Amino acid sequence: MAVTAAPGIGPFVRLKLRLIANGLRGRPARVAMFVVGVLFSGFFAVAGYAIFAIPGVADDPHAAGILLPLGGTVIVLGWLFLPLVFFGVDESLDPARFALLPLRRRTLVRGMFAAALAGLPAVATLVAMAGMVQTAAGLGGPFAALGQLAGIVCGLLLCVAVSRSVTSAFATALRSRRSRDLAAIALALLAAALGPLQLAVLAGAERADWDTVATVADVIGWTPLGSPYTIGLEIAAGRAWAAPLKLLIALAAIGGLLWWWSATLENAMLGTAAEGGRRATGTDRTPVDLLLVRRLPRSRFGALVSREVRYWWRETRRRASLLTFSMVALFLPVSLTIGSGSPGSMVIFVGALAALALANQFGFDGSAYATNITAGVPGRVEINSRAAAHAIYTIPLLVVVAVLVGALSASPGRIPGTFGLLIAAYGVGLGLVLPVSVRAAYAFPASTNPFAMSSGGGPAKGLLTFGLLFGAVLISLPLQIVALALGPVWLWIGLPVGIAYGVAAFLIGSGIAADLADKRAPELLAAVSPQR
Amino acid sequence: MTVPTQRTDEQVAAMSLRGLVKRFDAKLAVSGVSLDVPAGSFYGLLGPNGAGKTTTLSMAVGLLRPDEGRAFLLGYDVWADPAAAKARLGVLPDGVRLFDRLTGPELLAYHGLLRGMDAATVDQRARELLDVLELGVGNRTLVVDYSAGMKKKIGLACALLHGPRLLVLDEPFEAVDPVSAALIRDILQRFVAGGGTVVFSSHVMEVVERLCDHVAILSDGVLRRHGTLAEVRGDRSLEEVFVQVVGGRVATGSELAWL
Repeated sequence: MAVTAAPGIGPFVRLKLRLIANGLRGRPARVAMFVVGVLFSGFFAVAGYAIFAIPGVADDPHAAGILLPLGGTVIVLGWLFLPLVFFGVDESLDPARFALLPLRRRTLVRGMFAAALAGLPAVATLVAMAGMVQTAAGLGGPFAALGQLAGIVCGLLLCVAVSRSVTSAFATALRSRRSRDLAAIALALLAAALGPLQLAVLAGAERADWDTVATVADVIGWTPLGSPYTIGLEIAAGRAWAAPLKLLIALAAIGGLLWWWSATLENAMLGTAAEGGRRATGTDRTPVDLLLVRRLPRSRFGALVSREVRYWWRETRRRASLLTFSMVALFLPVSLTIGSGSPGSMVIFVGALAALALANQFGFDGSAYATNITAGVPGRVEINSRAAAHAIYTIPLLVVVAVLVGALSASPGRIPGTFGLLIAAYGVGLGLVLPVSVRAAYAFPASTNPFAMSSGGGPAKGLLTFGLLFGAVLISLPLQIVALALGPVWLWIGLPVGIAYGVAAFLIGSGIAADLADKRAPELLAAVSPQR
Repeated sequence: MTVPTQRTDEQVAAMSLRGLVKRFDAKLAVSGVSLDVPAGSFYGLLGPNGAGKTTTLSMAVGLLRPDEGRAFLLGYDVWADPAAAKARLGVLPDGVRLFDRLTGPELLAYHGLLRGMDAATVDQRARELLDVLELGVGNRTLVVDYSAGMKKKIGLACALLHGPRLLVLDEPFEAVDPVSAALIRDILQRFVAGGGTVVFSSHVMEVVERLCDHVAILSDGVLRRHGTLAEVRGDRSLEEVFVQVVGGRVATGSELAWL
């Protein structure tokens, strides 16, 4: 009857840990992925610590003044965007699941905030930032270290607050499916734009003089992004008055973000309203004509390809990945040129990256894949139709990239050879990705957040993607070396050789994938069906 | 109870399951289900939530690999000869297992072409089904934005499109309004009258009692009763038999006094 006192943060943290533990129970593959995640986090933590500790060891306050605020800013931005781009937002504590519990907003925000802190990324970030404490200690003794310690704790809180509030606000602010889809796409584009932007900034930094950078770092040190990371440095530099001010800036930012989060949380808990079934009518076209994309055969293959083509555009996750890739593919050559690098050096990377969109292609379908099993679609048709549909979008884009690279390096003659390299890397990427997409498929959660992956093991799935990309680049590398070695000859033979290389790799990979799909269709369906 | 006349001359059972077993982690979801569904029958698979109905039907139609046991559809082994078994099978899977980012007409066309039908037949049948089920021939709404009842109807249309001899339906009447339910019942009865076989799962006694000539009761992954409706029911109501077989609690005692 009587509602007892509001629970503290304990139950939320325990719930989060229990969710992680239960996710691992009895699943050796998940445990292995988790261990890889731990190793990766450990590496990040140690490397970060080492980097941030260098200015202290070298006794260089000038370098510290640049590294700490800028490094801290990168970490905050990383917390904001990495989950969106690579690892997926952790939805294990979805606010909608608490909607019916008599919890006050304050309790919920506090609890979920604490739960977000309990996890590998937070621990790794804290350890990495601890390097800043050592730097502060080296430069300014124990008081500076103490100030910096308070600073990095604030910094971590800031990271988590930014990550939770922004993703929560964006993913839930919009009601209908349609506008939600659009918002997701916009966010994907924003996230994708960040990479090229950063490259451009780095390229600019190479040429800029360090005094300017130091000034920028100084300014950033007074914004919420950098202020928590420079508290110790201010004390070390004898400006003790600045420390409480910067602490205040950081705390105000955290408070503001939490307030914003709690304001959007109520919307998040309401979930999604159903959209009225608008009946747009008025077409004389037959069902088959409506389904089939122009000029595709009126057959099983045509139907499969058409459905995939429509899905790449209509399904939010797919469209987001397609648009993200387009951004990266078009902006990478440009920003490399700005950075006085050669745009040709990223060609195989772009080609391999294109194929990555298919890494969990069956996961996009979810349990709908049952349709194809019931209809008895052979694995060969299944795999080839999916690759064909993806190629319909990708190959024109690769042509544009090749032209762009040719234009940027002011040698139109390079275009065919570059396109050959792109196709080769795309083919190799598909050859690697297709079997993996069958063997290591996983379910996306039935969530409103298009960036969400299933809870637990998120970093490990991101690692698998990295591995695939690395492998594809590695296998395509010989061709790139040959291209460089041959020089002008490659301009002539590049296109046919590249296409042959790519097609061969694709045929090998798709053959393996088709066999796997034939043998493991039910297991594949079970793997991509949300829950069970 | 009128048993529809059988017009098939094949004596082979429409669906026959032999010792199906499925384990999920430590839990035994289905333990040794053996069942024969006579051709031309209207077969109801009853059971409380979590009894293993969906798991059993998934194994029967080739969507979930059984740990042990075999399943035959119209005489073909589902796991040894899937192509032959699936050719004359129509399935309405549980939940929303449809490519729901297509519009209704597109989805039907997809199913038809996937089954290797020629485009003209697909168009003609799809229009007819959309018309009869009141889904709208020119409706450009994506299936994901359909209501629950409309989703069931489009799913049923997809299962019927290629003219199967056996229909396996998982909870076809769940979340369907009474008018649509009556329409679905009528379509299914016509299908059986035409010599087809329907197997469907449900936990709504009234529907099963009204439609089926054969029933099976499943609980905790074990087949408790099966046979014709008259055999299973005896002189009691199906609900009484069900509650007794499943052994659940149907009344409260002295607890919950604070309610």
